[in-house]
Amino acid sequence: MILLGELSLWVALLMATWSATVSFAGGRMRRGDLVASGERSLYASFAFVALSSIGLWTALITSDFSLRFVASYTSANLPTVYKFSAFWGGQAGSMLFWCLILSLYSALTLFANRKRNRELMPWVTGTLATILIFFLGTTVFSANPYARLDWIPPDGTGLNPQLQNPGMAFHPPNLYLGYVATSVPFAFAIAALVTRRLDAEWLAAVRRWSLVSWLFLTIGITMGMWWAYVELGWGGYWAWDPVENASLLPWLTGTAFLHSIMIQEKRGMLRKWNVTLVVATFLLSILGTFITRSGVIESVHSFAQSPVGAYFASFLIIAIIVTAFLVATRLRDLEARAELESMVSREAAFLYNNVVLVGIAFSVLWGTLFPIISEAVRGSKITVGPPFFNTVNIPLGLLLLALTGIGPLIAWRRASIGNLKRQFAAPVAGGVFLGAALFALGMRDGYALVSYTLAGFVFTTIAQEFVKGVNARRRMHDEAVPVALVRLIARNRRRYGGYIVHFGVVVLFAAFAGLAFKKEYDLSLTPGASFSAVDPYNRTWTFTSQGVSRYEELNRQVTAVVLEAKRAGMSPTLIKSEKRQHVDSRGQPTFEPSTEVGILESLRQDVYLVLHGVSGDDRETAEIRITFNPLVWWVWYGGIIMALGGLIVMWPQATRGGTKRRAEGGYVVVMQPSERRTADAPEPPVEAGV
Amino acid sequence: MATRRQFVVTLGGAVAAVAARAARAQQGAEAPGATMAGDGYVPVRRLPRPASAKRLTPLERDAVERILACPCPCTLDVFTCRTSMPCGFSPRLHADVVQLANGGYSADEILAAFEQAYGEKILMAPHKQGFNWVGWIAPFAAVGGGAFAAGALIRQWGRRAAERRKAARPVPIEASDDEMARLEAAIRSDDR
Repeated sequence: MILLGELSLWVALLMATWSATVSFAGGRMRRGDLVASGERSLYASFAFVALSSIGLWTALITSDFSLRFVASYTSANLPTVYKFSAFWGGQAGSMLFWCLILSLYSALTLFANRKRNRELMPWVTGTLATILIFFLGTTVFSANPYARLDWIPPDGTGLNPQLQNPGMAFHPPNLYLGYVATSVPFAFAIAALVTRRLDAEWLAAVRRWSLVSWLFLTIGITMGMWWAYVELGWGGYWAWDPVENASLLPWLTGTAFLHSIMIQEKRGMLRKWNVTLVVATFLLSILGTFITRSGVIESVHSFAQSPVGAYFASFLIIAIIVTAFLVATRLRDLEARAELESMVSREAAFLYNNVVLVGIAFSVLWGTLFPIISEAVRGSKITVGPPFFNTVNIPLGLLLLALTGIGPLIAWRRASIGNLKRQFAAPVAGGVFLGAALFALGMRDGYALVSYTLAGFVFTTIAQEFVKGVNARRRMHDEAVPVALVRLIARNRRRYGGYIVHFGVVVLFAAFAGLAFKKEYDLSLTPGASFSAVDPYNRTWTFTSQGVSRYEELNRQVTAVVLEAKRAGMSPTLIKSEKRQHVDSRGQPTFEPSTEVGILESLRQDVYLVLHGVSGDDRETAEIRITFNPLVWWVWYGGIIMALGGLIVMWPQATRGGTKRRAEGGYVVVMQPSERRTADAPEPPVEAGV
Repeated sequence: MATRRQFVVTLGGAVAAVAARAARAQQGAEAPGATMAGDGYVPVRRLPRPASAKRLTPLERDAVERILACPCPCTLDVFTCRTSMPCGFSPRLHADVVQLANGGYSADEILAAFEQAYGEKILMAPHKQGFNWVGWIAPFAAVGGGAFAAGALIRQWGRRAAERRKAARPVPIEASDDEMARLEAAIRSDDR
């Protein structure tokens, strides 16, 4: 199986090379047989990459330590689930995993477009195959998971203990699914640029894949935050680590694109900008991967320094040159069909939303790369850590939150004073009321107050839109409120799914602001000793040590402390934190000791317990930290709500009699061009919605 | 002219030859992850000051550790790293901070001592001085510049649209009042 897997990798590379060659040739020469051959070979590439992946999974599960990758990232006593997830735990395996997803997406794209976008497809196939060649080539020549060891060790090194967490079975695959999905819109953008078919056709094809990418990145980033919180033990979920930043960059530009695409759909504007955003999102995914894998920037997440960095840098440079050339030579085809008329319009609000999103992306990229720039200019290294990112990004984030509420309230084209008054009255009142109430209750943290005020404003905006929509349906169709609500969302999934995403954003910001009130206590507790602590809600807790215990589990030696947590109005609860020393099958330590945190979760706050170590002559005194983390669960809920909203937006509208039901929702205004359009009227709107 | 099959066989043979060479060459290519063992630790020690010198409280000492970046790849500050990560650096840096704090040195003096030993990279954020200002200001400048450019663009577009509206002759629309009312209702609904 391993030999078959290794051979399949090579055959897949061969097939992808054939696919790219004949697809481009077929597109250029307009030869259907070549185009068909290119598509078939890309399907074949997927089959062979899948076979190769099965080969590696087989090697991992059966602990074939003759493979360097298997010996480096697993051990005989590693639980099977982690042997499975070790596939993406190291450089070589994750490269193959990337190839697997890319070839799968390529096959799905070809299948979904077997009867559509036929003019574009040769170039889409060729571009996807070219990207696949790059990743397969890098895997085969520089990070081959099938590389053999000179001798077969009796056991492997094992998987890093911090990767032995259920979150790691889902977090990296989701991120990869998101990163790789940016390849499809990029391929369509290249195809549209090459063929100069830059109308709405390519956008329609691109939108769903951009949503797929956005959705998986949202889930992946949220799961990454959860993993960092429960596994790393430092009490937070986001440290502005370069690898975290790398995942945020394409998410930010992808989000900007999902907003600006609406302006092109409705008004035929921002065509150059949209192409740029699609290309930038893909390139930022590659850049993020380069940062993670090249070793140019240190990170606790990063893979070993390896030659793949040079491959990625070369690919990035070539991709930038090719796309810049294509965009530069197609500027006339990308001219807008209409122009923005007023500062006070939804288009303008979306444009500013794009400026802020791209600005945040720039600031994150800038902060990540500034140590390198500084070293190049001044010759001395600096650290750009959370103080920088927080100083820069908190104001920008709050500005973005404000625009999240403002955008949907303003009319398209030009808003009147009456429209503004009518739309803004309740949301502004809602935000101000919440801010004033929190101030009256004693909240004095400036950023938190602004954050909650804006959260109140945006929440009221969303609520107002839903109330108006439900009331309109009730008047028109005499429906009950729940029925009207469900049908309102179902009939215009883009608009109301978008509002649900915005609600997720509100929940996230509210949770982020909660961190301002975090409280920490460091202490030593002997068995039976107690400690009292006051939480951010001014409630007194008593923690009593139940003692330190030591025991062995499958692949680790555990030292654990158990505390009894008590507070008025709550029954006593036990919290346990562990210090783990992982060992191989011969009982030899494999990694530095790791911490398993204990968390007492609730909607208001988490009580977060970390065992630093044990001290004293009898090694029975627990050195611990207790942290009260307010509103942390709302971060996960915010992520889930955003993902749900994204799913609603993405979910295809059911068709009735061949016509999309979305078109029947009453939003498409069809006008006869000769009779009803004035000279300066824009192209007919595609559809309404956010 | 070669058939497609011949082409594939030839290309396959060539790839196989390259593959064999690459496979031989890359044995031993993958190395383990970044070290957290603490290689490169620089002791930061000073003679203690007289007993009369003011000592930092534990909280003030922790605050100093939160400004110092742990040199391991964790990207965390010394305090957070030493209390949560298996690290070869942060416990030793903590010991140095404790020794200096117990020796009567102020927070600024401790930070200066660390910066002297490790360079500016030991601080979690660069000083706001000299070239570093470029780092601090660039994001705001970019957003400000972007917003200004967008505003200027919108104003320019708005002027052009207004001129076109003036120049455009209205096209007579053949529609009944009922049709016009429905059209307006649809546009208003679309505007929301």
